[in-house]
Amino acid sequence: MIAGHFGLAAAVKAREPRVPLWALMLATQWLDVVFVPLYLAHVERLVPAPGTAGGYGNAVIHADYTHSLVGAVALAVLFALPALWRWGRRSALVLGAVVLSHWVLDLVVHRHDMPLLPGAPAGFPSVGLGLWRQPAAAAIAELALVLWGTYGYWRAAIATTRARGPARVATGALLVSGFVTLGLDLLGT
Amino acid sequence: MAFFVGLLLFVVIVGRLDARLPWPRPRDPEVRS
Repeated sequence: MIAGHFGLAAAVKAREPRVPLWALMLATQWLDVVFVPLYLAHVERLVPAPGTAGGYGNAVIHADYTHSLVGAVALAVLFALPALWRWGRRSALVLGAVVLSHWVLDLVVHRHDMPLLPGAPAGFPSVGLGLWRQPAAAAIAELALVLWGTYGYWRAAIATTRARGPARVATGALLVSGFVTLGLDLLGT
Repeated sequence: MAFFVGLLLFVVIVGRLDARLPWPRPRDPEVRS
């Protein structure tokens, strides 16, 4: 899931307008941002699900540190600390919660590949509700998140100003970005 | 690729467009109606 996370961040912006949108957008992908260097270092892996050729929804992600529950909490604290210094306690709490929302949304779509403890030690279960087994349903859920977040953002944006032009442009860019990102993800690129 | 394009679009481009709107700032006092 990529676009769906961004949709949630847009919805949070509508409720917490003091938090910069770029920070919410980065927070919502923070676990995957940290995943990238670990993937390149072969510490974490991404492989096609058994019996599939990979592509949208057909991956098993061995992200045993970044996508473990305890790891996600640690990364949320790491993200929130600079925000606490720069923007205060409320913004830090919101951003930390948005980082954790990545784990919760991934829990819905992932197969049983999300450990509770870092390193996925033996004896502790990995979790995942596996919506990705029905890729069409997962894609519809992501699209719904994008549309819900964009609508909430639009309502909040037009409430900030009488000049609706900039609000239209930002909301339009949000919607187009959601469609492009989801489309690329569905194409497996 | 979708991930990196998403980061570019949402964090950089949408983030910059959003910053043009007169949102309250993080440390602005809460206005209660």
